[in-house]
Amino acid sequence: MMKNVIQKMLLMLLVFVMLASTCYADDVPYTTYNYDYWENIVYTPAAYIPDGKIDGATILDENGEAIGGFVTPNDVYLGKDNHLYIVDSGNNRVVVLNADDYSLIHIIEGFDNNGVAETLKNPMGVCISENEDGFIYIADADNYRVVILNSDYTLNTIVENPQREDNVLEDNFIFCPQKLIVDSAGRLYVIAKNTEEGILVFNENLEFENYFGTISVSISTWERVWRKLSTKAQRQKQALKISTEFNGLDVDDDGFIYASFADTNGVQGVKRLNPKGLDVIKKGYNEHTGGDIGQYNATGSYDGMSRAIDVCYCENGIYSFLDSRRGRVFTYDHEGNLLYVFGGFSDNGAQEGCFKTPKAIEKNKEQLMVADSTLNIVLLFKPTEYGSLINEAVGLRYDGDEATAVPVWENVLKYDANFELAYVGLGKAYLSAGDNKKAMEYLELGMSKQYYSIAFRRYRNEFLVGNLEWILTLAVVLVIGGVAFKKWRNRNKYTDNSADTLE
Amino acid sequence: MKKYFTKDKWKYSFYCLSHPVDGFYEIRHRDRGSVPIAFIYVILYSLCYSINRLASSFVVNDTNPRSVNALSELFGVLVLYALLCVGNWSITCLMSGEGRLKDISIIIGYSMLPMILTLIPATIISQVIAANEEAFYYILVTLGTAYSLLLMLIGIMTIHNYSLLKTLITLVLTMIAILVIIFCIVMVYSLVNQVFGFFHSIYLELLFR
Repeated sequence: MMKNVIQKMLLMLLVFVMLASTCYADDVPYTTYNYDYWENIVYTPAAYIPDGKIDGATILDENGEAIGGFVTPNDVYLGKDNHLYIVDSGNNRVVVLNADDYSLIHIIEGFDNNGVAETLKNPMGVCISENEDGFIYIADADNYRVVILNSDYTLNTIVENPQREDNVLEDNFIFCPQKLIVDSAGRLYVIAKNTEEGILVFNENLEFENYFGTISVSISTWERVWRKLSTKAQRQKQALKISTEFNGLDVDDDGFIYASFADTNGVQGVKRLNPKGLDVIKKGYNEHTGGDIGQYNATGSYDGMSRAIDVCYCENGIYSFLDSRRGRVFTYDHEGNLLYVFGGFSDNGAQEGCFKTPKAIEKNKEQLMVADSTLNIVLLFKPTEYGSLINEAVGLRYDGDEATAVPVWENVLKYDANFELAYVGLGKAYLSAGDNKKAMEYLELGMSKQYYSIAFRRYRNEFLVGNLEWILTLAVVLVIGGVAFKKWRNRNKYTDNSADTLE
Repeated sequence: MKKYFTKDKWKYSFYCLSHPVDGFYEIRHRDRGSVPIAFIYVILYSLCYSINRLASSFVVNDTNPRSVNALSELFGVLVLYALLCVGNWSITCLMSGEGRLKDISIIIGYSMLPMILTLIPATIISQVIAANEEAFYYILVTLGTAYSLLLMLIGIMTIHNYSLLKTLITLVLTMIAILVIIFCIVMVYSLVNQVFGFFHSIYLELLFR
């Protein structure tokens, strides 16, 4: 009898334990979040989940032998030819893979320069021209040159030691290319080491043209006052205020250059540079596209702003940048709204999907790939249902197709009822459909003052037009009533007074 | 108790709105004010402030409604009110001010009336405005606040029988006095804390022996 009871109790306990341990579908080693209007963190379902990795040790060449693990991979680039280029800096090579199944196509270790066999030395970046020629541009950093290869991996041109007649370049300028990108017109943009002046631009004939997109140094009022107060000796000891350098490049379909940089104020991670070199990126309502807002660590002290290390333009105005301080990927839309944040460090780097030293980010169809130069692998991430719904809806909005986006936004809200952008999307759709009241409701949930005001103004006009008789009648009644009341009170007073005088 | 809440006293606080100099003079010299009414106005102001933060339209209001706590705001307003009264009193009684603590608390409470009277209508107006029309809301709120501050200035000037310059000087000194008071309170608090901690650890030592 007693044994039976104990058995039953144990069974019940087991059932409870099983019920209590909820199993999440997105069992990932990092949190995915977003910021709401008041800049509080809102945790969301995972937008991207780990989807394996590319490890040199498991890639086989045509003889069936492994090509050997990567050593400090510094850049990844997906060409228009559907080839994936991984810059394996430590091994002085560029590995070319098939972007569909990540099988080996070729390894670029050197080239034939008029009969002289030359090799790469610590290559840092790679890009492929967008036209049908498919030139391969390699930033051969420690040889101080950019090597341009034909699509059959033979040498085309070498760009080194850029010159210009006037003194735009310093006399002792050393050209050490780090990252590069080429636009559809064939202009080459190169980030070189220790050039605070900006990105070097080479024209179609690969002649150095000028610097591009210089980041200006900003000094706060407080610093200015402090400098005024300090003596010359003190000023010499202070750290020099040097503008930050760009550290990652990408180009969008319209030929605008996306350049990431570690902003000293942490309010902007990426510049979108037009052909004149001016930043034309759109920022959201809070003017913040620099990643994390006020991150505090476990002890409660400020943990520093995000430091962008690389950027990748995805599609439909969506771009992602990689944060090297906390190992996160921030994705923004073309209006500067934060879509989702994911990724993170792990202490030993053993967990799948965690970074140690993230260096480069690139998009391969749906997948996002991040090169890590300590783990020596390229990590792959694939969007979840939630992530791809957001991407789809933002894409539809980018195309101006707000009505088609409605069911997609509704699905997004099923996953995350706190997603303000979805409410704005729905509200705008209702607004163009003419349902002002519903639009107001959604736009207020989405905290969009601008569109809420449009909806509200329309609703107010509708209300006034529809109820004008009532309002006017009420006004007339009030005026007449007021006058009558005054008269009545005065007459009372008058009779009282007359009564007084009579007595 | 009844003498504090007569109809005349309630009406008189509104008379002070339109006739600040005369009104505040008679509060000092003919006891026409009432401390409890002033106290009620302070509480009302705190309430209106919380309501405004909570309920005004998001077009003009960047406050997260979830962060509004009317009770803690009431506490803050009351503490500030007490500090202002005590700080001003402690300075003015050294600088030959004629006002008593009673008069100071009455005029500060009464001067909050314009803010009480504008915050609620402003909250209602905020519900029927769109972007670009915020000016209507802000004008109302700014006018109320400015008039309140003006009343406070005139009041302090009148009850202490000060010139304008002297009033401004005492106000600056009042701020310093408030800081000194806060400093003293914090110091006493931490000292008491340490003494308490000392005896607490002795108690624990004895307990675990």
